[in-house]
Amino acid sequence: MELRAYLIADEPYYRSIGNEVWLFEAAYARRIPLMLKGPTGCGKTRFIEYMAWRLGKPVITVACHEDMTASDLVGRYLLDRQGTVWWDGPLTLAVRHGAICYLDEIVEARQDTTVVIHPLTDERRVLPLEKKNELVHAHPDFQIVISYNPGYQSILKDLKESTKQRFGALEMGYPAAEIEAEIIAYEAGVDPVLAGHLVAIAERSRNLKGHGLDEGASTRMLVHAGQLVAQGIGLREACEVALVLPITDDPDIRDALSAAIAACV
Amino acid sequence: MLETEIRELLAELAGDDGTSAASADHLAAEARRHIPAKLLADWQRQCRALAGAGLSTGTRWGYVRHSLVVAEQLGAQAAFQLAESVRQIAYIAGRRAAQALPHAAAAAVRRLGTPGAFRLWLNTVERYAPQMPDVLAALLEHTDRVLGQVGIAGYEAWVLNGLRASGGDRARRHAYFTFSDPDAERALMREAGEIVYADLDRRLTTYLTALWRLRLMVRAVGGSPGRPLPRRASFDGGVVWVPETLPGVPAAAAVDLFRASLAHVAAHAMFSGDRFAVGGLKPLQIALVSLIEDARVELLALQAFPGLRRLWLPFHEARPGGAVTAPTLMARLARALIDPDYRDGDAWVDKGRAMLFARRVSLHDPTISRGIGNLLGNDLGQMRVQFNARSYIVEPAYRDDNLGLWDFGDDRSDNAEGTDIFDLVRIAPQTGDDTRPDPCRQEQAPEEAVNRARPADAAAQEEGVPVARYPEWDYVIARERRDWATVVEYAPVPGAAFTIEQFLKRRSDVVNRITALVRSARVSRPVRVRRRLDGDRLDIDAAIEAMISRSAGETPDPRIYMTSERRHRDLSVLLLLDISESTNDRVHEDGATVLDLERQSTALLAHAMAELGDLFAIHAFCSNGRNEVRYQRLKDFATPYDNQVKANLAGLTAGLSTRIGIALRHAAADLRRQPTLRKVVLVITDGEPSDIDVQERRYLVEDARKAVITLNHEGIDVFCVGLQSDGDRYLTRIFGRRNAVQVDRLELLPEKLPLLYFRLTS
Repeated sequence: MELRAYLIADEPYYRSIGNEVWLFEAAYARRIPLMLKGPTGCGKTRFIEYMAWRLGKPVITVACHEDMTASDLVGRYLLDRQGTVWWDGPLTLAVRHGAICYLDEIVEARQDTTVVIHPLTDERRVLPLEKKNELVHAHPDFQIVISYNPGYQSILKDLKESTKQRFGALEMGYPAAEIEAEIIAYEAGVDPVLAGHLVAIAERSRNLKGHGLDEGASTRMLVHAGQLVAQGIGLREACEVALVLPITDDPDIRDALSAAIAACV
Repeated sequence: MLETEIRELLAELAGDDGTSAASADHLAAEARRHIPAKLLADWQRQCRALAGAGLSTGTRWGYVRHSLVVAEQLGAQAAFQLAESVRQIAYIAGRRAAQALPHAAAAAVRRLGTPGAFRLWLNTVERYAPQMPDVLAALLEHTDRVLGQVGIAGYEAWVLNGLRASGGDRARRHAYFTFSDPDAERALMREAGEIVYADLDRRLTTYLTALWRLRLMVRAVGGSPGRPLPRRASFDGGVVWVPETLPGVPAAAAVDLFRASLAHVAAHAMFSGDRFAVGGLKPLQIALVSLIEDARVELLALQAFPGLRRLWLPFHEARPGGAVTAPTLMARLARALIDPDYRDGDAWVDKGRAMLFARRVSLHDPTISRGIGNLLGNDLGQMRVQFNARSYIVEPAYRDDNLGLWDFGDDRSDNAEGTDIFDLVRIAPQTGDDTRPDPCRQEQAPEEAVNRARPADAAAQEEGVPVARYPEWDYVIARERRDWATVVEYAPVPGAAFTIEQFLKRRSDVVNRITALVRSARVSRPVRVRRRLDGDRLDIDAAIEAMISRSAGETPDPRIYMTSERRHRDLSVLLLLDISESTNDRVHEDGATVLDLERQSTALLAHAMAELGDLFAIHAFCSNGRNEVRYQRLKDFATPYDNQVKANLAGLTAGLSTRIGIALRHAAADLRRQPTLRKVVLVITDGEPSDIDVQERRYLVEDARKAVITLNHEGIDVFCVGLQSDGDRYLTRIFGRRNAVQVDRLELLPEKLPLLYFRLTS
């Protein structure tokens, strides 16, 4: 098996917040392409890893960026001493050998790049390699999952309607306060009371979404703050390092956020 | 001997101005006293020289009088320098300024006190005189005020600030230096090192948003002669008033005090319910109910945000013991209620505390404040403790005056800021008393003055200036009629810029979203270009293809590199607003009018364009027959987007008809002169083209279509945003299917327009 390196060996920690595990399994059973929507750091990638582990399938993750070309996804001819050799791109690899292909932040990629996935997302389930003149039929285990963060940039960059309509979507968000505290307590190894404080602090920064911040503090950031506290850093300082400074350069917002954090404890 | 000479000189200077002999005698004696004998002759020479320079009697006489003050304080040399400056200023800035200088110098001497500082002041005045000849006299008249607040150190900075802020606009310069522009006062406070609320507004309102998701409108209230700065914050409905500065509070503490104050008001906003009815309550009871209510909302806020205690407690300075007066007891009670570690010992204070703590579980019920406050008021009354409602001020300093908590049963509280709460209780309701300052009015004053001036100026306003004639297209004969319509330009009538600011603030979510968009659409964003002859990286696909071609024996394509380029936005946009009569229609019953929405969306769009650095102009049009296509320039390409533009926008009024083609041609005349590559007209219109002298509907549609085609040929893109649901028919005909957009839900226009703009121009 080619994709042993892409298998998830140990169970990743994932705290289910709704029926998303069940929904994903159902979609996978029929190989319906899925779109995970949600703000950054809310656990989309972790969820995919967890599902891959649960289903016992390898997962190939591609972080999309605006310079990505179709060749970066499907593959290209490279040169060696004898001449040209074909190199399968990550998408082709997943299609051929039956992995879950996870395209992270797909809106970042240019629209003409993303259309290569179209034939894979309907009943055809094929990937035409035009340069190689090959038609790859998808392995039965293959499934495509994309993440899509409908942020403010979506006016300038958005998925084509024809791309969007090929996917089912799971909405993910920051978990409810108690669950989030539980996650932080587990991941950072801090006591639940402190984790509760961190969640209250996160609420302050999420209130500023659209009022100076593009996005509030994510669960991931809270875990970082918790980890710093577990290392013996004071809570206020840990929050400054992990929650305030990374998300804003605006002195007014920074001051407001720091003061609001001070009010929480 | 000398004294006679001086008297002669003075008589000579006075001319037949009728200066009394007595004052001349007095001045001669003064001169003898303050100017050393050996320099007296020099001083006389200076006086004569001023007379010789053709200055007015007033100036000469002013110099004689005030130079003696200068000489007395700083020595005769300073007085001589002053004479030199007076001549200079007269030459540069005219007689009026020269006449103001000696008097100003006397004031400066009192404020400055050393010859060095005085010389510095004179130099500063001389240096800036050429840049502000028209307002120099005004500057000099305010010498005492400015130097008194900022000293010589901040003087130049303040003057420069005024020059920069007005950017060559005479009217604004005049407003600044005569202090009719509130910015002047604010700048003065800033120079004086005081914390000005306006500088903190964004961070403090953001702070409240972070805590409670609350957007409070905070307005700073300044003091002015005859009206002291308010000492406490105040709130009423959704608006909070705070003092513009906190005199006597050190800068570091001022930030905390503003913050504590707003956090307290926010606690009211979150937890105080309906206003209490005053009913038959006495002033003391009102004060106590307010005090308990303050503590109640703070305790509730502390449940969620225990850290607020660190913010509020430092201001509670009350200690046990001391004189037993109502204010001290109340300050102690205020502290006892929110400071768990405080022990007072006074039976009344302890009783108040015990009563509130007994209700700890039902804190959410506002009626407990009233109950406890009444009981405590009765107790205090029985203790025969004096309470003077006139002099009572809420303590500690961060708490508001509690006016917003009470319902006085009439509409006075609407603008009751700055009033003593107890006035409202004692004085029988009496409307029409409008001497009380209204904080809103203060900043609006200049604009209101303009509004009020409108009827008087109406005649002048009605007089537009015909500026150009344009052809119109008659589709029936398929020919243009030359010089058919006349464009008449009218000066925009400024309204209250404040309303636009307020709107932007209310929709700060949209403004922020736009700002975020602007950042990502910003001008110089690097774009990767592939297949280049040279570049800093290999284009891997091109390189491989080249190698393949070479192996295959073909000529390889040498363009195998890639590089990054910055693409600049090279764009001018002219926003053309239709302000015809139909824009007076209301979108919903009792809702905003179409014009309001146009105004709001223009404000948002202008904000975005200004942030992007795009060149843009805002013009508006309506028409009254072909000989009067009215055109207003709210903002031109060259003028900055500032308060003046916002005022023009706020002052727009709707009327008459829509002759769109002519307006487009006139707009194009402006755009043609723009040096940018891309030129865009964005029309916002709510209805089909029409005019009083045109019966046939199709005529103006076809003319507009022709105008658009002509503009397109010249490389000017025309886009249209239609505000009428059935506009599709003719708008598509005029602008083309791709260049006309219908907005179906008008309420969304303010949000939609900037986004549309991004799409059009990116």
